[in-house]
Amino acid sequence: MRLRSHLAKIRGLGSARAGTEEFISQRLTAIALIPLLLWFVTALISLAGADYDTAVEWIRRPVVTTFLILLILVLFHHAHSGLREVLEDYIHHEIIKTIAMVSMKFLIITITVGSVLAILRIALGN
Amino acid sequence: MPYPIIEHKYDVVIVGAGGAGLRATLGMAEKGLTTACVTKVFPTRSHTVAAQGGISAALGNMGSDDWRWHMYDTIKGSDWLGDQDAIEYMCREAVPALIELEQYGVPFSRTEEGKIYQRPFGGMTTDYGKGIAQRTCAAADRTGHAILHTLYQQALKHKADFFIEYFALDLIMDLEGVCQGILALNIADGTLHRFSAHRVVLATGGYGRAYFSCTSAHTCTGDGNAMLLRANLPLQDMEFVQFHPTGIYGSGCLITEGVRGEGGFLTNANGERFMERYASNAKDLASRDVVSRAMTIEIREGRGIGPYRDHIHLHLEHLGPEIIKERLPGIAESAQIFAGVDVTKQPIPVLPTVHYNMGGIPTNYYGEVLTLKDGNPDRVVQGLMAIGECACVSVHGANRLGSNSLLDIIVFGRAAAIRCAQQLVRNAPHRPLSLQAGQAALERLDRLRHNKGHLSVADIRLNMQRTMQQHAAVFRTGDSLAEGLQKITDIHRSFAHVQINDHSLIWNTELIEALELENLLVQAVVTLKSALNRTESRGAHAREDYPSRDDERWLKHSLAWCNDQGQITLDYRPVHMYTLTTEVEVIPPRPRVY
Amino acid sequence: MAKFTLPPHSVIQKGHTVNHLDNPQHPKKFIIYRWDPNTGGQPRTDTYEIDLAHCGPMVLDALLKIKNEIDSTLTFRRSCREGICGSCAMNIDGTNTLACTKAIADIKGPVKIYPLPHLEIMRDLVPDLTYFYSQYASIKPWIQVHTALPPDHEMLQSKQDRAKLDGLYECILCACCSTSCPSYWWNGDRYLGPAILLQAYRWIMDSRDEDTGERLDNLEDPFRLYRCHTIMNCTNTCPKGLNPAKAIAEIKKMLVQRR
Repeated sequence: MRLRSHLAKIRGLGSARAGTEEFISQRLTAIALIPLLLWFVTALISLAGADYDTAVEWIRRPVVTTFLILLILVLFHHAHSGLREVLEDYIHHEIIKTIAMVSMKFLIITITVGSVLAILRIALGN
Repeated sequence: MPYPIIEHKYDVVIVGAGGAGLRATLGMAEKGLTTACVTKVFPTRSHTVAAQGGISAALGNMGSDDWRWHMYDTIKGSDWLGDQDAIEYMCREAVPALIELEQYGVPFSRTEEGKIYQRPFGGMTTDYGKGIAQRTCAAADRTGHAILHTLYQQALKHKADFFIEYFALDLIMDLEGVCQGILALNIADGTLHRFSAHRVVLATGGYGRAYFSCTSAHTCTGDGNAMLLRANLPLQDMEFVQFHPTGIYGSGCLITEGVRGEGGFLTNANGERFMERYASNAKDLASRDVVSRAMTIEIREGRGIGPYRDHIHLHLEHLGPEIIKERLPGIAESAQIFAGVDVTKQPIPVLPTVHYNMGGIPTNYYGEVLTLKDGNPDRVVQGLMAIGECACVSVHGANRLGSNSLLDIIVFGRAAAIRCAQQLVRNAPHRPLSLQAGQAALERLDRLRHNKGHLSVADIRLNMQRTMQQHAAVFRTGDSLAEGLQKITDIHRSFAHVQINDHSLIWNTELIEALELENLLVQAVVTLKSALNRTESRGAHAREDYPSRDDERWLKHSLAWCNDQGQITLDYRPVHMYTLTTEVEVIPPRPRVY
Repeated sequence: MAKFTLPPHSVIQKGHTVNHLDNPQHPKKFIIYRWDPNTGGQPRTDTYEIDLAHCGPMVLDALLKIKNEIDSTLTFRRSCREGICGSCAMNIDGTNTLACTKAIADIKGPVKIYPLPHLEIMRDLVPDLTYFYSQYASIKPWIQVHTALPPDHEMLQSKQDRAKLDGLYECILCACCSTSCPSYWWNGDRYLGPAILLQAYRWIMDSRDEDTGERLDNLEDPFRLYRCHTIMNCTNTCPKGLNPAKAIAEIKKMLVQRR
């Protein structure tokens, strides 16, 4: 026996008035990733067979450093959006969802910070 | 019989959620009455959804128009059997009712000025027959769909209570013949629901499914009509069954008259536009009975199309793809699916197909059910109303004009709400129902559910449908009608031997079909009996043995009662040959030529 | 978690085969999902072989023939039989569509018929659509006007503005699209689904309606609207040829525009 109306459930806590920022950023990061990834893959191919010093030299070039950091930030921002959608889609248990979501965020942030730091060390190190 | 019964109390209970039922429901709810709408299908699945061409109203958006001209056309279309006070009411109220409908949000097609688009339709003229009127308001060729969905939305807005997929079994009448409510079966779980109401409004539609080939939905079984007969009340003018000229050959699906309104035309095997011979003025836009008879004659005289010379072609290729896409997109789709025809290149094969029942429950223009009692032909049955196709107000008389049925449901759905708002007090206490209330219906249900016999619902239904198709067709003769009546009486009796294999109470569609068949059978009997009795030709009732209209003897409504044994009693009511106001004069009978 | 496999009580068993044809001209097998709430237990698929030489062209004709001549307990909804009422929506040959407009001739091999996916089944091919209907009610699908209405004439609307409703108002609420959408399968309790969003857009686009902003406000939600991942099943399956995916994309576009 249903004691609560469907409508009450559907209206629920109301509209979050959110999602559009996420929608825009997901698309913007996707667009930004196209040239960034093309550039990165091309560069990797041209570096194929090069030795360690050549690679370090390449990364130290200011333009390259800038774009590598950008690539990392955009890539993980985009990954964060995508993973968030996946978790929201498939995990319905509220506590598990919260734990998964927070862990995912922490992980992404950690990887992002670590990656950026690695680039900076190479770029600024001696 | 362990049937749990759940009680409900409402100011008004509406049976049926087609256009009429929903218009009444939302009107009652809007006026603050507690309102329940009981329907056997989800509201937007009701057959109003299939209406295509449009809804008439003398708005004058596309040339001058006057509701009096509309009234004249309707009376002429009815072959003078329509009640002129009711027709005046409908045609005059059409204008405000239509404006209201637009303001409810119906997505009507538009003119350049942004007004509602109106198209020509059969029998709709200007200046008392002199010109062709553009009076039929359209939403492309999906007007019924647009209206029905909008009405449901408005009913949602006004928070009417819906009882969806509930099958109404019978009226609850007290000993004085006052209607007190209904008994209904919840199809989903088999529970019985007894509704007490100060007013019951029947809006149950027509009974096209009594025929083998019809444009009607499977659900068009005239349940309200049959409930009325079981309550020992009469049905009126049941001999008048409209054949739509253009049902798709084979499937019977409707092709709107709007096709001809937009310039489409019919041809026979010789490629001849034969309607010019039958109606020199209106041609393809003559009234439906006229066109259906012409087509039948063409086929009968060997000028039909196809290997069996058994159908007619409807052309709209010449209209061009643009017009078809804008104004007749649904037709293009239906013709493709059901006839395999590309309407921009080929004609559609069509045939006159059972479409509408002019007859039904006698009512006045308030929607109140009438009966003939103690010499009073306009005696109101207290507590009971009927609107829409199930009602016989009678605004359509012997033949309905295209686009007047959507108007009928809107105007009289609205009228019923207005009447109830005037007469009922919100939440007034209900008279207690007697302990026996609904008992007979319950016993009927139980008996049927466990009936042991040797005939399937499908077999009996097919027998009935074939008999009706053969004996109550476009043209009728006394001999054929008498034979048909004998057959249908036997078939009606054979229902006692029906076998129901499904004894479940959860979604038992076999049981529902059996109940519907029982309803159809009694209407079939009444139809044939009334048709045999009326020895004249008027509107849709064309007797070859009595080819002319006989106003001296037959300018009257026939009434038919049917008792438990299927025996029919006939009587008559006078046609209202008077108007409601002095704004218009009575239009006396004259020859009907298009 | 979202459920990717059927719960134990919904696993489909093989049911009866009914074939009593003598010398059929065009035999055709129909494999039909059956579940009887009275006996409970597992659902099953029954197989019926009928002769198409004595059957109408559409899948609904075959279902009616089976119900009329072979098994009167077969349960399904039907009404108009011309594709306008939306009653007989079901999953035929792997696609959600209307039985009354789906030609048997278009299906190779046996015709497999299941109810609309991912809904609770009441019996055989009859799903419970009450939640879907409540979702429809939740978007307030009626016109909202705050300006005083003209007393003696209709509200005006240009032909161009009216044309914007084409492809939107024709929806018959059959639920084929929503029940074909994986996002609706996983999150149908909170995601409104393509049919309802198409109707929301129908009112957003109506030039006569004065609540466009409020309507957008109510949709702007990660679940109600943004569960749409542009899978496009809705548009592919719509038996009326409508394009709910495009309507949803347009709603998203409007939300971006108003920022």
